[in-house]
Amino acid sequence: MDNRRSVWHIIPAGSVIGVGVLIAMSFYAPLHPFLIFVALLIVAYTMFKYLVLLGDAEEKIRALKAPEKQVKVQPEGPSFQEVLRAVPDPVMIVSGHEPDDIAARRVIFANAAAQRIFHIADRGGPLVSAIRVPEVLECVDEALFGGISGSVDFEMSGGARDQFWRAFSAPLPMENKHDMAQRLALLVLRDETDSRRMERMRADFLANASHELRTPLASITGFIETLRGPARDDEKARDKFLSIMGAQADRMGRLIADLLSLSRIEMSEHVPPSGETDLPLAVRDVVDSLTVIAQQKNVKLRIEGPKPGLYPIIGDRDQILQVVQNLVDNALKYAPQNSEVSIEICLDVTLPQAVALSDGKAAKLVLLRPDRNVHDYYARITVRDNGPGIKREFLPRLAERFYRVEGQKSGDRLGTGLGLAIVKHIINRHRGGLVVESQGPVSASDDDILERDGKVTALPQIAPQTFTAFSAYFPQSRAFGTAETPRLVVDAAASLKDAG
Amino acid sequence: MNNHIVKTYGDELDQLSAEVVLMGGLAEAQVADAVDAVARRDVALAQSVVARDHKLDELEKDIERKCIRLIALRQPMAEDLRKTVAAMKLATALERTGDLAKNIAKRAIVISEAEPMTPLTRSIERMGKLVSSRLRDVLDAYKGGKVELAQSVWASDTEVDEHYNALFRELLTYMMGDPRTISACTHLLFMAKNLERIGDYATNMAEHIHFELTGEDYVESRPKANTLSNLE
Ligand SMILES: Nc1ncnc2c1ncn2[C@@H]1O[C@H](COP(=O)(O)OP(=O)(O)O)[C@@H](O)[C@H]1O
Ligand SMILES: [Mg+2]
Repeated sequence: MDNRRSVWHIIPAGSVIGVGVLIAMSFYAPLHPFLIFVALLIVAYTMFKYLVLLGDAEEKIRALKAPEKQVKVQPEGPSFQEVLRAVPDPVMIVSGHEPDDIAARRVIFANAAAQRIFHIADRGGPLVSAIRVPEVLECVDEALFGGISGSVDFEMSGGARDQFWRAFSAPLPMENKHDMAQRLALLVLRDETDSRRMERMRADFLANASHELRTPLASITGFIETLRGPARDDEKARDKFLSIMGAQADRMGRLIADLLSLSRIEMSEHVPPSGETDLPLAVRDVVDSLTVIAQQKNVKLRIEGPKPGLYPIIGDRDQILQVVQNLVDNALKYAPQNSEVSIEICLDVTLPQAVALSDGKAAKLVLLRPDRNVHDYYARITVRDNGPGIKREFLPRLAERFYRVEGQKSGDRLGTGLGLAIVKHIINRHRGGLVVESQGPVSASDDDILERDGKVTALPQIAPQTFTAFSAYFPQSRAFGTAETPRLVVDAAASLKDAG
Repeated sequence: MNNHIVKTYGDELDQLSAEVVLMGGLAEAQVADAVDAVARRDVALAQSVVARDHKLDELEKDIERKCIRLIALRQPMAEDLRKTVAAMKLATALERTGDLAKNIAKRAIVISEAEPMTPLTRSIERMGKLVSSRLRDVLDAYKGGKVELAQSVWASDTEVDEHYNALFRELLTYMMGDPRTISACTHLLFMAKNLERIGDYATNMAEHIHFELTGEDYVESRPKANTLSNLE
């Protein structure tokens, strides 16, 4: 009742004097006592009304002022609110009424970082709309209703990139003393993705490196022992062993190089690239560097797409080159002699178009999907070869590190099994996507009976053309309007002839 | 509950959707933790998933009760009615999602005693990630009233099926290769099946959200790949 007492100070003196006079009159003048009583009643009633009105008004004013008042400490200098706004970590003040009313848990203040990251409107909103992670809600509840401060680690998968956060919550002193139900708590969040990522990557790198290097290392040690012992004087064996050892050492070198580049990409994966790159130009560069290998196998490299130099996309040039390089490398590896590998570039592709199936019978799988509703248009590159294809059941594991499809004759075993993993991480950093589509070999096994929608259909007479197509797509900063895009079909072999 | 604060109609609707979002957060965590428990062979985590499931049941009952009360007392019309019905349907779907997550966790406890089958559990993890992202998108669509987001979840329904089919074949190969793994693989198979169902619930929720926001049903039928589940 503290707040009500102040009202007494501003009761007009006139009404008090009036009442005094009235009472005095009742002693001196022969007035009817009942009349005096009625007069007193009226005065009392009006005064009571007046007091209630005043009290209400005061409360209203208090409520209006509340949000500012709670952070204003000194009349000079920045207010607490302004200070909090500038803090780079998300900071929120949450109000609550009672434990079982979830909707009443509201964010009444959110600084700029919190508004941006958790999509909170200026005027606040329900806490669950901002964060619905159960541990965090519990932590806030403990601060609100238990008066306990605490912290909790949580993972928030922001699309394809996991984010690690730590939330701190602490009770705040009550603002409105007359409203005992209202409670306040502070919620501060800290993005710990960087440090956690670093930790995890170091562990991954060590585990992978030690595991994968063990085999070639063991083989080299074995050969060294043989060369020292039984094969000491056998010239022919020595040459053979040395060349095997050389190949193993090369493999170790490649593994380390690939692992390092994978680690580096992972390290920057949550920082989107800022530069611009021309996709058609990147493709041309890669194709130029691979024509010799292609010619050895007599494989034609065909580029189909817009003219280079006109349509830059958001991207890191070196990384985009690596994506194209790895995909075309694989295609060349599996393409049969005298066949064609096509590289097609499409601009202004929407997300549904990017993942659409081009061949109804083939298997298709999205290996990586960008966050929905972030970019409208994508530039897509599709690398397609007429190799043996990949069976449906192997598709999901393709971009796993060190994964290689079993029983596949890849000719040379030059790969490390990291190529597609690198591709996936680069594309993820670029907020793009990766889709694989493949028609594997059709064999008369019971597998194929299962495949056809419950209908046991006869196998087609002619086996379909096997192929593998990887599509990578990268966000465009704007639509180019491909209606008038000049298209260009280039035969790598022909262009090489032109060059001399 | 307190009676001295008289809630307005709008407040009641807001509270409903806040509770659905809260329930969604719980269901998301249950699915993620269950899959984590499988991947890391973490029995304690699996047990806590099983123990937490009752919260979802209670929330569902609470939401249902509130919806019925709201319909009876306020007789909502048009948009408000759709909101109420959507809250009820989402609550049911989320409760089922929780049941499936609990089932996965229970199986995780059983297979933690068997030999580790890393490539297979990694595939379960991958499928779990995909399903979780669908759940997340659907809840984001609900909370933000985003029709296109709901639509895009709805349209990418077949992806989970592809993963399920691949995992099914992977499991078959594994079981044929080493018959001792059959019982553990069967558990993994049911986990995959549960994840697929959760994916289906996400699709259903996307449909309810679409209806809530637009008042229109989807006319086209859902894209379905050739799935093994169609055989059943
Ligand atoms: N174009 C392709 N055709 C057939 N199989 C492919 C193709 N591209 C990739 N693969 C399969 O995917 C696996 C992983 O590829 P990648 O990550 O590039 O590793 P690497 O090429 O070093 O073996 C390959 O081992 C191969 O089995
Ligand atoms: Mg490769």
